[in-house]
Amino acid sequence: MTQTAMNTAGMAEKISIRNLKFFYGDNLALKTINLPLFEKKVTAFIGPSGCGKSTLLRVLNRMYDLYPRQRAEGEVIFDGKNVLDPDQDRNMLRARVGMVFQKPTPFPMSIYDNIAFGIRLYENISRSEMDGRVEAALTRGALWNEVKDKLHTSGLSLSGGQQQRLCIARTIAVRPEVVLFDEPCSALDPISTAKIEELIDELTTDYTIAIVTHNMQQAARVSDYTAFMYLGELIEFDETTKIFTAPSDKRTQDYITGRFG
Amino acid sequence: MVDAAMTGAISAGMDSAKLKRMRRFKAGDATFRALTLSAALMVLVLLGGVIISLVHGSIPALSTFGFGFITSQSWNPVTEKFGALAPIYGTVITSFIALLIAVPVGIGIAIFLTELCPPWLKRPIGVAIELLAGIPSIIYGIWGLFVFAPFFQTTIQPFLIDIFAPIPVLNSLFAGPPYGIGILTAGFILAIMVLPFITSITRDVFDTVPPVLKEATYGLGCTTSEVVTKVVLPYTRVGVIGGVMLGLGRALGETMAVTFVIGNAHKISASILSPGTTISASIANEFTEAVGDLYTSSLIALGLILFVITFIVLAAARLLLMRMNVKAGN
Repeated sequence: MTQTAMNTAGMAEKISIRNLKFFYGDNLALKTINLPLFEKKVTAFIGPSGCGKSTLLRVLNRMYDLYPRQRAEGEVIFDGKNVLDPDQDRNMLRARVGMVFQKPTPFPMSIYDNIAFGIRLYENISRSEMDGRVEAALTRGALWNEVKDKLHTSGLSLSGGQQQRLCIARTIAVRPEVVLFDEPCSALDPISTAKIEELIDELTTDYTIAIVTHNMQQAARVSDYTAFMYLGELIEFDETTKIFTAPSDKRTQDYITGRFG
Repeated sequence: MVDAAMTGAISAGMDSAKLKRMRRFKAGDATFRALTLSAALMVLVLLGGVIISLVHGSIPALSTFGFGFITSQSWNPVTEKFGALAPIYGTVITSFIALLIAVPVGIGIAIFLTELCPPWLKRPIGVAIELLAGIPSIIYGIWGLFVFAPFFQTTIQPFLIDIFAPIPVLNSLFAGPPYGIGILTAGFILAIMVLPFITSITRDVFDTVPPVLKEATYGLGCTTSEVVTKVVLPYTRVGVIGGVMLGLGRALGETMAVTFVIGNAHKISASILSPGTTISASIANEFTEAVGDLYTSSLIALGLILFVITFIVLAAARLLLMRMNVKAGN
């Protein structure tokens, strides 16, 4: 990996990935990744399909644990603790590291309950307090004005873009510290995409964000830092402006100028 | 190939031998079509035939007893007074007991298999369930009568009678001498028999839940039990109900095993430990000894009632499963 001297003074590392290797069975999918995720910054992961971006994201909240024969080696230090430790409480970790998926995944329940569901898992609060939390989350998810009159209709009745914002609102309703976005806009139209990018930008005041995207303009628009991955390796990690204007590695340059991938 | 032969024949000025062969092909194809069509139509004819003969056969009984046939519980071959209430009651109550046991267990197995089971255990359990479905019902009957019923009589029934004795209502539900055989025993055997159906269908509909939806739920920090109760079950509700209805359809019509263990008494007792009968058990038991026309006709009428009940249940199940598939396809 090439990494130029970044101005990282005073930047707190929310998550530090150290010597991370990931296996699908015997197949090595991530080859010794070292990477920081800075607090309250957006880090974008770009690279061709199959390069391990999504895999990396799924390590951070241990989503891979749901599937047999997938395992990770190395360290992912999150607030001083290695989340790959076998004794790590996964439910607690996932409450602190939220995730938004490629396809919108509203739960088969009302809009209100989609948001309240996650809150109820951790907090026992009164009805009026819950109303406030739901409104706050939907407002934060830039969806409140569109759904405030139909909170008790099914979350499945919303459009794709609205569903995705519902999922983002649902994720932040449980007050995580880190939010992972796995290609959140790839199933959406340009207008919905713009809304979600705007939303991501606003979220950085409170959250540390990692986003996987196939859209390089999107990475350039929303992120502070960009990591370019290729064939399971981290090729280059730097400030986004640097990556998109003067990348250090030839392969990064080839990729962002569209010569491959 | 026929087309190629045809153009060839035309260009060659209709070689008569080839034309003949082509005609034979055509005739062969038409025969083939007619054969498969008649095979398919046979199903409809059979179904129609069964319905017609059931209705026809039950006319004497239904015209004699009228509506009273399904509200009376007297079943007296000597005086030729027949009423279907006791078998209908027995059919419904044994099926209900069967579902009461099989639904939670079946759904539990399905949840374990789809969400929690380690891969190496998945196949053995899956195969065991399929084998359970493949055991002929007569074997359940023999096993029920010679193994299960004595066990019930000496262990479970006295236990139930004892613990419910001081509780009103429940003490009449679990009253009487422990015969071993009876409504509850039949319900238990039925539960074992419908369990594989409920399990395999529920497992299949659980598999239709998109993995990403489950991941999203886990992603909020949910435990497996929360994922299942809050997302998987609501998502598959319709399909699960359909599976349960299919199990119910099977329980309603099951004959041999029930006949062995239910006791075959044409009466309705408050206690579910006492012997009773079901529609199919009555028919199986009594057909050989039904002498009078009215007796035979009454048994056929019983069959018609069972047919109608089962048909409604199965149609409802199909409808629900169909809606489920449409939803999964979207």
